[in-house]
Amino acid sequence: MTEDTPDRDEARAEPAGGAEPILAAGRDRLRRAALLSVLAALIWPLQAALVAHALGGLLTGADVSPLTVALGFAALGAGRAILGVLSETQSQLAAETVIHAARARVVAQEARRAGDSPFGGAGSLAALAGEKLDLLAPYLTRYAPARARVMVLPLVILALALWQSWAVALVLIVSGPLIPVFMALVGMAAKEASQRQMVEIGGLNDLLVERLSALVDIRLLGAGAAVRDGFAAKAGDLRRRTMAVLQIAFLSSTVLELFAAIGVAMVAVYIGFSLLGELSFGSWGGPISAQAGIFLLLLAPEFYQPMRDLSAAWHDKAAADAVLKEMEAWQSAGTDSLLGQGGRAEPLPGAPAISLRGCRLPGGTTLPDIDIAPGESVALTGPSGAGKTTTLRMIAGLVVPGSGQVRVAGQELSDATADGWRARLGWMPQAPHFLNASLRRNLTLEREGDLPAALTQSAVREVVEALPQGLNTRLGETGGGLSGGEARRLTLARAIYGGPEVILADEPTADLDSRTAQAVIEGLMAEVARGATLIVATHDPALAARMDRVIPIGAGA
Amino acid sequence: MRPLWQIFRVILRDQRLSLSRGAVLSFVVLAMGAALLGLSGWFITAAAAAGLAGMGTVFDVFRPSAMVRFLALGRAAARYGERLLTHDATLRALEGLRLRLLDGLVAAPHGRMVRLRAAQALNRLTSDIDALDGVPLRLVLPVLAGLATLLAASAVLWALVGPSVALWVFLGFSLGAGLIFWQTTRQTASLSRRAEAAGQAFRARLIDLIRARGDLAVQGRLTAQAEHALAADERRRLLRRAQDRAERLAGAAIQMLGTLVAAGVLWLGISLVRSGVIAPAFAALGFLTALALAETVAPLRRAASDLGRMAEAARRVSRDIAGALPEERRASGTTEAPLCIDSVTLHRVQSAVPIIRDLSLTVRYGETVALTGPSGVGKSTLLLAVAALHPVAAGRITLGGLPVADWGEAELRRAVTMLPQRSALMTGTVAEALRLADPDADDEALWEVLERAQLAQTLRGRDGLQTMIAARGSGLSGGEARRLTLARALLRRPRVLLLDEPTEGLDRPTAEAVLEGVRTYLPEAAVLIAAHRAAEQRFADRTLALS
Repeated sequence: MTEDTPDRDEARAEPAGGAEPILAAGRDRLRRAALLSVLAALIWPLQAALVAHALGGLLTGADVSPLTVALGFAALGAGRAILGVLSETQSQLAAETVIHAARARVVAQEARRAGDSPFGGAGSLAALAGEKLDLLAPYLTRYAPARARVMVLPLVILALALWQSWAVALVLIVSGPLIPVFMALVGMAAKEASQRQMVEIGGLNDLLVERLSALVDIRLLGAGAAVRDGFAAKAGDLRRRTMAVLQIAFLSSTVLELFAAIGVAMVAVYIGFSLLGELSFGSWGGPISAQAGIFLLLLAPEFYQPMRDLSAAWHDKAAADAVLKEMEAWQSAGTDSLLGQGGRAEPLPGAPAISLRGCRLPGGTTLPDIDIAPGESVALTGPSGAGKTTTLRMIAGLVVPGSGQVRVAGQELSDATADGWRARLGWMPQAPHFLNASLRRNLTLEREGDLPAALTQSAVREVVEALPQGLNTRLGETGGGLSGGEARRLTLARAIYGGPEVILADEPTADLDSRTAQAVIEGLMAEVARGATLIVATHDPALAARMDRVIPIGAGA
Repeated sequence: MRPLWQIFRVILRDQRLSLSRGAVLSFVVLAMGAALLGLSGWFITAAAAAGLAGMGTVFDVFRPSAMVRFLALGRAAARYGERLLTHDATLRALEGLRLRLLDGLVAAPHGRMVRLRAAQALNRLTSDIDALDGVPLRLVLPVLAGLATLLAASAVLWALVGPSVALWVFLGFSLGAGLIFWQTTRQTASLSRRAEAAGQAFRARLIDLIRARGDLAVQGRLTAQAEHALAADERRRLLRRAQDRAERLAGAAIQMLGTLVAAGVLWLGISLVRSGVIAPAFAALGFLTALALAETVAPLRRAASDLGRMAEAARRVSRDIAGALPEERRASGTTEAPLCIDSVTLHRVQSAVPIIRDLSLTVRYGETVALTGPSGVGKSTLLLAVAALHPVAAGRITLGGLPVADWGEAELRRAVTMLPQRSALMTGTVAEALRLADPDADDEALWEVLERAQLAQTLRGRDGLQTMIAARGSGLSGGEARRLTLARALLRRPRVLLLDEPTEGLDRPTAEAVLEGVRTYLPEAAVLIAAHRAAEQRFADRTLALS
């Protein structure tokens, strides 16, 4: 398992595994955001007092200046808006920092793995690093400020209410605490629903990536309708899961709205009757004034508002928790890491001799000891599944042997030497994957070399010239747009471009007719003649016969 | 804007009833909210006035307070209904769009299909469609409901408070919101579109990184690809930052708009009371209604911020579903007459360069013909043309007397099966891989085709039909994967079987046994092989050399 390096040791010591350190990056900004948002919310009682004073004054015939009141109200509102913007600035920056850091972590760790992650395929991982991490943003920008407001504002409003009328305060005290209890219950349901939804999103993405890569087969097998139905069923499941999450969210906010509505209505009825003189209890010394009545009525909804905001953000929290849980699952889904970084490096010095001593394959079989001298050409043969490809990958540092040692150019193949070793290799995999870039970039990979010569030597130059856009063509992922043999010869051109000293080729003549296979063999042999070491894994007796030596691998050895 | 409207029309056509009900409910929610606050303000102020005047005992408390309760509970219920209805309708409509997009991809011409990059198609199917949920939920419905509420509330304010207040509220909110929306979208349209593009580039590059990890590592390109992916995310981060900023400012502007309209009503109301035109209770009604109406413009914040992303997604999606209109083929051929290739000329994919000229060939049922010739001579293209996946430039390819291009898709696939050169396997069990060809096949049938493809023995040594295949067929060797896809093709029991280099990666004895198995399993089929191996050519009844 690779060591990811959190920036702070303290973050690593936290027990919650991977989850907490992911959020740690935004902690300070979130604190500031919370403070600013509380300050913004505290302005409303001032605005309410101003309006109550003005309207109450009108009733009692006091002299009220419309312009002063309107300007005062607007000025306070402006202050509220400005504090709100400042608060959001902080929380959005926090979210941005957190998400970007988490994304960089996914990319960095995936770039270090030796094999596919048990967490899921490329589609799942792209979903995790893409849209799922984005779900942390609403949580960070809404939940933390709302929580701070819940801790301060209801208490402030309660104190203000108590100052005017104990009866109103009593109504608020009784109805208020019911809300958090209810919210906690809802939160639990929401969390479970969110997690199920997350899993569904990832699964759907994986399913789609595979189906989309196999469209031709699907069409030819007349399975279009079946695949469509399968997708429709999955998509329907996802919609139902999403609706389940939304339903909980809507139901809980509706219930909260009802609580708040009942609370406000009780306050309003009490105030109405008091003002009419029909109730004479609940205030301090004498009947409640018109100003106080209007003030309390304007404040009452704000008593519930922070709790409603928090409950709305509960679902963001549930979604974020589900994402963090997935991140944890992803982080704990360990695989071997490849040797080195897979980056550009100074070529390792020394003659490119290769020796494998007692290397054990991941499957458990132990390879024979292999020594390959510089300039030699060698065929690895053996039945399918015997480990020919794995041996090639081991020589390239993509697979670490279970035990034993791989030595290259006189040094042990290790993290320190692997990149330098690979800088001397030409690599011809069995199944090509073309990156989403022009053919030219796919072939040169930003290395120096003579491309026309490499294309000619691979007998593929005419093919490239016949493409409507030549070297600027963008091929499909597996070389779609060309025949299998043509794609194979392109990978040969890529392998020999830049004059590597060692060429590793996995089944270079599979999929090829005899004439093309001959062309590929000649292309490879020209490299041997140039002095390069050539190691091929092959079934093809014609190719094996051309090598200096044949090394049998596996059962037939 | 036009694609947005087009997409909305598609969504509306799909979910007209739910969306119209949702629109009515959105209006009801906003209107009840405004009525609730306005009535409460009036009620308290009027009660205070009556109390001060000593008229407390004759003031009608019950009807207004009952109304307040009705509005409070009704609004909560209406909001719940509205949200459920519109979200469910939108999700259903989006699901429909996703399926139509997928249909379009399955029916795409072969040349486009093979060039399709799964990562990009995935972006289209997930990210783009997800962006479109904002079209009904955050753009069209809120704007319509908001406008309707503003109109209705202004009419009531005109009658109860005065024309000046009504005009101020209506014009203030509608013009102010329009201005904010216009100003914000001017900035965010390109920001959100580019941020989305950068996000999609990040996903595509990450998928490339994961799928080609080994290759990239050997080529020393792995770190560069990781940086390439992160560069896309960095670009997105900067764009998002600018977009967030614009959205914050829009939010603050909308909040200020509410404050200013309410402050203006306060001013007008107090002035009207002082000049004796209205009672104080109606000033309170006007003020609180104005406060509540701020809810009509609040959704514009998200809508303005996301407009660019929505418009771009709508453009791409409506283009792809427009191209995907299913072509109705009426004719359905019979398989009486043999496969006839009659002076056919084929061009290379997407070009006018002829690859096959004036070729004629008849393949009778029960006969095997091998096409030979070097790589790139057009063997695969000819097979694709027979499978109606490649256009015929001149001449005719007929089956049962009917040109294959005129066959109905389902009928043609029943009659003709092709094993392409690169056949894909998906994650799942061997049984699932085979049942892609025939969902109703029983285990016995599956074992039979595996037997014919010389794979039964190998699989019995593992988990039989339940042997797992990992992503992209890994877990099977190249030769095993080849035999499995061949077995899958056999399971279709076609009258015409097109095999593109079927025995690739197999040793000679296995290759010969597999070909024998094909003939034994399908004695009556016309078999056309793009062959380069001697074993395949020997197996054929006759060979045709292309050059």
